[in-house]
Amino acid sequence: MKKISKGIRYLQLLLPLQLFNLLNAQLNYSGSLNPGNMYRLSDQSEISLPFRIAEAEVGYSLGDFEIKTNSAFEYRWSNNENEFQLREAYITWYPNWGEVKVGKQIHAWGAVDGNNPTDNLNPYDYYYMFLSGAERKVGTVSGSVKYYWKDLQIEGLFIPEHEGNRVPFGEQAFPLNIPDLRPFLIDKERGREFGFRIQTTLGSSDFSLSYFDGRDRSFTLVGYNELPNLMPSVFYRKTSVLGFDLVSFIGDFTNRFEIAHFSTKIDVNPDMLYFDNATYIQYAEQIEYTTPNDIMLSVQLIGYILGEISWQEIEGNRSAQTSVPELIPGMGTPFATFTDLGLSFSASANYYDDALELMGNTFIDLKDSQSMLGASVKYSPINNWKIKMSISKFMGEEGTQFYNMEDFSHLKVGLEFHF
Amino acid sequence: MKKLIFTICMGLGYSQTGFEIAKMVDEKPSPNDMSNKTKMVLTNSKGKSRSNAMMSKSMDGNKKQIIWFLEPKDDKGVAFLKIEHDDKDDEMRMWLPAFKKVRRISSKKKGDAFMGSDLSYEDLSSRDLEENEYKRLDDEIVDGRDCYVLEILPKKEAKSSYSKHVSWIEKSTLMGVKEESFDKRGELKKKKKYHFTDLKGYHVMQRVFVEDVQKQHSTEVTFTDIEVDSGIDEKLFQEKNLKRLPRK
Repeated sequence: MKKISKGIRYLQLLLPLQLFNLLNAQLNYSGSLNPGNMYRLSDQSEISLPFRIAEAEVGYSLGDFEIKTNSAFEYRWSNNENEFQLREAYITWYPNWGEVKVGKQIHAWGAVDGNNPTDNLNPYDYYYMFLSGAERKVGTVSGSVKYYWKDLQIEGLFIPEHEGNRVPFGEQAFPLNIPDLRPFLIDKERGREFGFRIQTTLGSSDFSLSYFDGRDRSFTLVGYNELPNLMPSVFYRKTSVLGFDLVSFIGDFTNRFEIAHFSTKIDVNPDMLYFDNATYIQYAEQIEYTTPNDIMLSVQLIGYILGEISWQEIEGNRSAQTSVPELIPGMGTPFATFTDLGLSFSASANYYDDALELMGNTFIDLKDSQSMLGASVKYSPINNWKIKMSISKFMGEEGTQFYNMEDFSHLKVGLEFHF
Repeated sequence: MKKLIFTICMGLGYSQTGFEIAKMVDEKPSPNDMSNKTKMVLTNSKGKSRSNAMMSKSMDGNKKQIIWFLEPKDDKGVAFLKIEHDDKDDEMRMWLPAFKKVRRISSKKKGDAFMGSDLSYEDLSSRDLEENEYKRLDDEIVDGRDCYVLEILPKKEAKSSYSKHVSWIEKSTLMGVKEESFDKRGELKKKKKYHFTDLKGYHVMQRVFVEDVQKQHSTEVTFTDIEVDSGIDEKLFQEKNLKRLPRK
C-alpha cells in the first residue's frame, strides 16, 4: 500500500512535467548579478543611490503564446534599503499576422539610440537615467497590436492609465533640481493614452510615422497649494506627439533621423500665469561609422525648437505670479529639458575576442557652456563574468544644468555575472 | 535528369571553364531550408579560446537566415535576421533585448566580423555567380580528394572586401574543401577548411575552420542538430520572430 501511494505521489510530481512536454512548452530564463557602487570624483565619497544588483527574465512559451516577466532587486548600500521590482509582466500572442502584447511592459519607438523624441510610451526611472536602453524605463500596463504585411508594420497601442516618471524626491545625492517633498498632484483624471506607428521599407531605407496622445511624463509646476503647508501644485500636461523617423545608408555610413512635433496644453486652472497651448519640436540626427579596425563611431545632434505659445488669463483672486514661466518639455528626449542644441559623440571597440570592451562618450551643449565626458571599460576574464569601471565628469558654467551636476561626477565600479 | 547533366559535365573534364564549374556548384541541389545549432570557438594567437553558441534557421540557400544567440549568456536573447535581395541592398536587423528594439544595421560593410569571429558577413552570404570572374587553375589533390581549383575575382559590383579567392572544389561532390581569401592589397587574409556530411541526399556543412593569418586568430564553427527540408515557413523570417527563441 505504501508503495502504491509512493508511486501515486511520484506520478503526481511527474504529471505536470509530462503535461509540460506534451504541450510543447518551453521555459527560458536569463539574468545577471550586478553588484557595484558609485563614488564622487571630488572627495571619493560614496553616492547614496539605489542600484539594481540582480535582474532576472523568465519566459514561458506555449504554442503561439508567451508569458514573460522581468524583475529586479534594487539595493542601496548606504542604508541596506532594498526593493523587489516587477519591471515587466506580460503575455504575447504571436498569430501568423503579427503580435499582440498585454500587460506591464516596456516599449521602444524611434530610430536613433537613446535620445528619442518619438519614444514617449514609458515613464523614465530617474534613478537610472544614466543607463541606456530599456534599463532607464518603467514598465507600463498597456496593450499593443502589431500587424506585419510584407514591408509594412502597423502598430496600435493603448495605455489605460497614465504614469509619470519615477522621480527621486528628497534625494540629496541626486544631481537634478528636484523638490524634497512629493508635490501636490492636481488630481485631474489621469486618463487613457493611445498611439500608433506605421513603418515601411522603401528602397534600402526604413521610414516610420507615429502618433501618440497622452500626458507628459514629467510634471509641470502650476501653482502652490496652501493647505496644510505651502506645497507646490503640479500637473501632467495633455500632449500629443506626431513623429517621423528614418534609417538609411549612405555608403559606409548609417543615418538615423528622428523628429517629433509636440502639441501640449494645460487643461486645469493654474494658480499662476501659464499658457493654454504650446507647441515645440525635437529632433535627433545620428550618423554611425565603423572604422576598418572595428571602432564604432557615432555622432548625434539633438535639437529643440520652441513653437507658438498662447497664454492663459488668470481668473479672480488667484495668487497671480508676474514672472512668465519657461516651457519645459514634459516628453521627448531628456536632453531637451536643458539645452536647445547639443552634440553627442561616442566611440566603442571590443578587443581580445570581446573580452575587453572600451567606450568613450561626450555631450557638448552647443548653446551654453556645459559638457559631459564619460569613459567605460569592461573586462571579462572568464565567460559570463565581467569587471566594469566607468567614469563620468560633468562640467558647466554657473547657471547651467551640468554646473549643478559637477559634484555628481563619479567613478562607478562593479561586477557582472550573467546566467 | 539533373544527375545525367551532372555526369555529362563531369565527363567533359578539363574542358570546363572556371565559370562553368562555378555554375555547376551554384546549381547543385541544395536544401530548401535548414536549421541547426552552431558552436563557434574563437582562438587567439596565444591559444586562449572563447566560445559562442547560437541557433540558426535558413532557407533559399541562406538568402534568408535568422540566428538566435544563446551564449555567452550576456548575449542570450540577441537575434539576427538577414534577407538577401537581388534588386536592392540586403536587409540585416538585430533584436537587442536590452533596448527592446529591432535595429536595422548596415549590410554594406560586408567585411565586418560576424560576432567577433574570423567570419565576415560577406563570408556568410551566398556569392552571386555574376558578380565574380572565375579562372580555372590546375587541378589538385587535397587530403586524397580530387579537386578543381578556381581563382575567383570579385567584380566591382560585388562590393567585396577581398581582391581574390582561391577555392578547392571536390570533383565528386562539387563541394568546397578549402579556400584562401586575399585582401585588397592582394595579401593572404584567410584560410578556410570545410567538412561536410550527407543528409537526405544533400552535402551539408558540418564544420568550418577559418584562420585569419594576418591576425593569427582562428574560428572553428561546428553545426549540430542539423535538419534539412523540414518545411520552415517563409513567415519565420520576420522581425517578430527575432524576439522569441524557437522550441528547437
